[in-house]
Amino acid sequence: MAINKVAVIGAGLMGSGIAAHVANAGHDVVLLDIVPDGAKKRSELAMNAVERMLKTEPAAFMEKRTAKRITCGNIEDDLKLLADADWIVEAVIEKRDIKQAIYRLIDGVRKDGSIVSSNTSTTPCRDLMDGMDESFQRDFLITHFFNPPRYMRLLEIVAGGNTRADAITAVSEFADIKLGKGVVDCKDTPGFIANRIGTFWIQAAVVEAFKGTVTVEQADAAIGRALGIPKTGIFGLMDLVGIDLMPLVSKSLYDTVPENDAYRALYGEPELIVKMIAEGSIGRKGKGGFYRLNKDSGKPVKEVIDLATGNYSKALRLTPDSVRAAKSSPRKLFEHGDAASAFAWQVMSSTLCYAADLIPEIADTVVAADDAMKLGYAWKSGPFEMIDKIGAEWFAERLKAENRDVPALVALAAEKGGFYRTEQGRLQYLSTDGSYVTIERPAGVLLLSDVKRASKPILRNGSASLWDIGDGVACLEFHSKMNAIDPETLKLIGQSVAAVGKGYKALVLHNEGSNYSVGVNLGLALFAINVGAWPMMEDMIKQGQDAFKALKFAPFPVVGAPSGMALGGGCESLLHCDAVQAHAESYIGLVEVGVGLIPGWGGCKELLVRGLTGKSRGILGGGAMPVISKLFQTIGLAKVSRSAAQAFDMGYLRDSDRVTANRDRLLADAKARALELAEGYHAPEPQEIKLPGKSARVALMMAVRGLAKTRKATPHDLTVVDQLGIVLTGGKTDTTDAVSEDDLSALERQALITLSRDPLTMARMEHMLETGKPLRN
Amino acid sequence: MQTYKAPLRDMRFVLHEMLEADQLSKLPGYEDATADTIDAIMEEGAKFCEDKLLPLNRIGDEEGCTYENGVVRTPSGFKQAYDDFVGAGWQSISSDPKYGGQGLPALLNFVIEEMVCSTNLAFGVYPLLSRGAAALIETHASDTLKDTYLPHLTDGSWSGTMCLTESHCGTDLGLIRKKAVPGDNGAYRISGSKMFITGGEHDLADNIIHLVLAKLPDAPDGVRGISLFLVPKVNVKADGELGPRNGVSCGSIEKKMGIHGSATCVLNFDDAEGYLIGEAHKGLRCMFTMMNGARLGVGMQGLALGETAYQSATAYAKERRSGKSLARGADSGEKADPIIVHPDVRNMLLTARAYNEGTRALAYWTALKLDISTKHPDAEVRRDADELVQLMTPIIKAFLTDRGFEAANLAVQVHGGHGYIAEHGMEQLVRDARIAQLYEGTNGIQALDLVGRKLGMKTGRLLRHFFHPATAFVEAHQEDEALKDLVLPLAKALGKLQQATLVIAQKGLGDPEEAAAVATDYLKMFGLVAIGYMWLLMAEKAAKKANGNADGDARYYANKMKTARFYMYKLLPESASLFLRIMTGKTAMAQFDEDDF
Repeated sequence: MAINKVAVIGAGLMGSGIAAHVANAGHDVVLLDIVPDGAKKRSELAMNAVERMLKTEPAAFMEKRTAKRITCGNIEDDLKLLADADWIVEAVIEKRDIKQAIYRLIDGVRKDGSIVSSNTSTTPCRDLMDGMDESFQRDFLITHFFNPPRYMRLLEIVAGGNTRADAITAVSEFADIKLGKGVVDCKDTPGFIANRIGTFWIQAAVVEAFKGTVTVEQADAAIGRALGIPKTGIFGLMDLVGIDLMPLVSKSLYDTVPENDAYRALYGEPELIVKMIAEGSIGRKGKGGFYRLNKDSGKPVKEVIDLATGNYSKALRLTPDSVRAAKSSPRKLFEHGDAASAFAWQVMSSTLCYAADLIPEIADTVVAADDAMKLGYAWKSGPFEMIDKIGAEWFAERLKAENRDVPALVALAAEKGGFYRTEQGRLQYLSTDGSYVTIERPAGVLLLSDVKRASKPILRNGSASLWDIGDGVACLEFHSKMNAIDPETLKLIGQSVAAVGKGYKALVLHNEGSNYSVGVNLGLALFAINVGAWPMMEDMIKQGQDAFKALKFAPFPVVGAPSGMALGGGCESLLHCDAVQAHAESYIGLVEVGVGLIPGWGGCKELLVRGLTGKSRGILGGGAMPVISKLFQTIGLAKVSRSAAQAFDMGYLRDSDRVTANRDRLLADAKARALELAEGYHAPEPQEIKLPGKSARVALMMAVRGLAKTRKATPHDLTVVDQLGIVLTGGKTDTTDAVSEDDLSALERQALITLSRDPLTMARMEHMLETGKPLRN
Repeated sequence: MQTYKAPLRDMRFVLHEMLEADQLSKLPGYEDATADTIDAIMEEGAKFCEDKLLPLNRIGDEEGCTYENGVVRTPSGFKQAYDDFVGAGWQSISSDPKYGGQGLPALLNFVIEEMVCSTNLAFGVYPLLSRGAAALIETHASDTLKDTYLPHLTDGSWSGTMCLTESHCGTDLGLIRKKAVPGDNGAYRISGSKMFITGGEHDLADNIIHLVLAKLPDAPDGVRGISLFLVPKVNVKADGELGPRNGVSCGSIEKKMGIHGSATCVLNFDDAEGYLIGEAHKGLRCMFTMMNGARLGVGMQGLALGETAYQSATAYAKERRSGKSLARGADSGEKADPIIVHPDVRNMLLTARAYNEGTRALAYWTALKLDISTKHPDAEVRRDADELVQLMTPIIKAFLTDRGFEAANLAVQVHGGHGYIAEHGMEQLVRDARIAQLYEGTNGIQALDLVGRKLGMKTGRLLRHFFHPATAFVEAHQEDEALKDLVLPLAKALGKLQQATLVIAQKGLGDPEEAAAVATDYLKMFGLVAIGYMWLLMAEKAAKKANGNADGDARYYANKMKTARFYMYKLLPESASLFLRIMTGKTAMAQFDEDDF
């Protein structure tokens, strides 16, 4: 059965976030809550939640207008709205009797075959189903989202004993394909997978840190980047999610885990934390937590709490020697032996052992546990991958040396040589019976990492590689730092066009970095500028233009498949593709103005041509001037889309471009699109357009000068957008001349060189490199 | 014979015509530094150096310092010269008036230092060390320490030292073992031994102020755990009078290759009283703030000896007759011509001269920026000037001392066998010049400082202050008839330098050894191009005045143009071969295992 219409009961943080994300996926959704006492509007809880979500950051909606897909209501008047819902999600308070009361209400109105799920994070499925009708039980399961639902990729699914298989399949597929979630099947055990391990981990760190051998800062430095764990560490993470939630989660886990569970020995609530919660020091949403920003002296000073005294002092931001030595090698961190190292070892070794002891109790395979921690806690490696990184044998030996029990599964991995291995190019995991099992990807999932494991690149240099992804399609992968585009990347693009032309049908631009590309390697560009190597600069600009032009006019189709940021040159690479298959979470934009430059690798050119030849709804308008004005604003304000959906409005994507919700499906979708285009493909013809020239530029600048008078634009903004105006209006042309694409490229180059020589542009570039923020000079 | 007349004409040209140094008199605090004042002081300085210091140079070399029972005696005449030197105020030209200094630009001090070192390098290092110590105290020490010590270091009644090196570590200061423990009244007790301490003990001044790097008991490992202490030879009482001797003694002095008149001491600290300068564990950072000044000073020593070498060799080449001129043929009427007629001799002399004049321009240009970096009212101008100084410091230290040594060597060559014997003083110049390539950070370390630190700093912003004016000048003068034939070679070399810089930066990011392997070549290439740019700046001024009759000042300008041409066609081209060496990277060197040696 297909899920089309969805309903969510409970308009709290999670319920409303789930509703918004269903709307993001293009489905209508009903959002209901109770009628509160003294309500002015009977559905105000749901309505307020939608209003709030339109304002909060990070945004719950991919586009503001998506909010219209949500129908708000209340459970007294609007239960009838559930009648045609295919899937009803309950996300109300964690009390079983209230939940069951809701289920009875739902059951009265829902249609046959509809599916009901709970977003509970603590109550076992069997408890929720206790006493419910068997027909309801057949349609019921747990769908545990993580906060915020749009951005956190994990969805834990727990089936009850009576849940029908096709209900599980329907929800899993919808969550996977439409919502883009990484679905992990869990057993009906306390805290499921991620929070069971995660809560233990946090508790272990808190207990250890309160022993006083490390400061809060040292603790967070130790349990952070070197382990592939987000830099918030433990205490920073608690500040982020809210310290007040911690006792609730840990208590409920304490109450529900088995009697002999290692977690029960660890459980406790330090007095300081009780006091902090009582005083409202509950983290970022309160008046600070383990860290706070002290603004007493005007300039905000980051302060950190002393766990022994509860007093705050200025954060030192020192990296412990062990963390410095470890770089990204966890074993080196554990071997170093200073206080931070000992802390990290204590916390992580007990957490990893705990996880190992829980297989198969909470999950059948180590893969499920690893996936859950990666998708739900943003660890780069799950616990078992981490043990492999440390070395399973080394890990077991050290545990033995410390007279600690070696979990059976760890001993097995130590004997076999790790939890994962590559066999004939296929990734395998160690099952509990000691055999290795090949990991099968679902249909429609193609991972570049799998391709890379199984083959050698067609071409490769330090910044990019070309891979054969099967069926005559090649994939160009960027892999420089932050996937910045440098001369090596451009060189490989040129070589790839030649190689694909000879032996392949189509090319896909894709990589598995957290960002597709942040654009030109700004450091390298600024360095060249500082050295005053203007001819070399011009060559580098030309090299980029030529590389992208080669993509555009190649005799085969090129499909861009971005995820995350595609900025500046990254965006320009997409603008030259025949089609883009974008991940829903794609943040696309031409941001050059922020560093005092303008798009010079064809960004201006491509958008102009699209606008004036009517290929993009975002910039289509009557005649040249409205298009130019719109582009002048988009590029002049360095607008970046906050989702793929928004990128259509901004003109970075065309109507013919498509979106994939699940990252893991992006490459397969892009490949399919490329093969579709390859049938009878003809390369595009170079276009000529007519542009208005100087008079239009003067008009554009008049508006900007007005902004400068009210200080909305800085003096250097004027200089930069003046150059942008020159390019967009065609330079010295007038409406009777035809302007070719190459003419536009030449204008871009000239403008870019002029701006590169401006010290104020250099200051902007430098500021961006040093602070990551634009300089308003 | 060592021949030296201060090159006042050339100094004035660089200061007044090329650099327009009286711009300094517009900076607050430098109002007195007018062109007239500068000229007058230079003339007096020249007299002092030519009359008092030059005659002592050979005596100092022959006698050397002597050590007996912990007492060090400087060569005959040094004490008198020192008294005259500080008495006439040469010690305090650019010192802070608050402590009795004259408050004149550092640039002027560098000019005087050049003359001092040209005439007597062994003598010159004593006041140089004192000024370095004073600068460090002025920037980082407490007011009490400043008030107690700076007036005496300024008037020269006390002198100063820098105590960094220990027997097991020099460049790698992270290995320092010397201990400091907290004592009474906020003072510290310092123990351990230091070596290679220039001016560590002598009979020139009443007290010696040692600035000592040591480790506190709670210090972290490595360079992040070094603290800086002030340790006087004689303790100073609360009333400012000298008290009993502190626990510092000189164990011995070194026998060494050159600068025999300078005492190079082993110092033993035995529970000596010392005072912390700056923050605990951050001593190295303090030390580095004075390193720029000290390294520029050492660079000047290279130039200084190069100048004396050139003047001495020229005098000899005009006098000594041997062989006939190939140009004039057999009918010159003389049995033999002066050797200056021979192309090889001329090439040698002109090499030294072109480097001397070019490096003088570079050193003064940088010194001018040093003054701007401290005195200019606009913070951004100060910052930019400071960054140029930081960039140029390793180049001036290494390139100028290498060229100075080369000039001294050439002077020996011009003298033939007479250069090798002591009588003419040329071999002394070689021996004296050698030290400047070693101390204040060996020239190899300077090259690493350039590629490893200065290049990448602020994504290359330091480079901007050299490359942008140089490229702009080239662009502006490519069609300039008077300069065209000089601009073209520089434009090429500059382009290669830009390319080499980008390549090193890019390669060095992935593999620091790639950058290190070509660092010395790169520094030399940078030096050659920078001097080339200086020659263009000089030629631009000289070209306008070089026309007309060929005597007097016009001849000076015409010679400037000729020397510029010699530089561009005979010396700058070396940058092309350095470029090739740089582009081949590290492989030819790195292919060897340690055991292959």
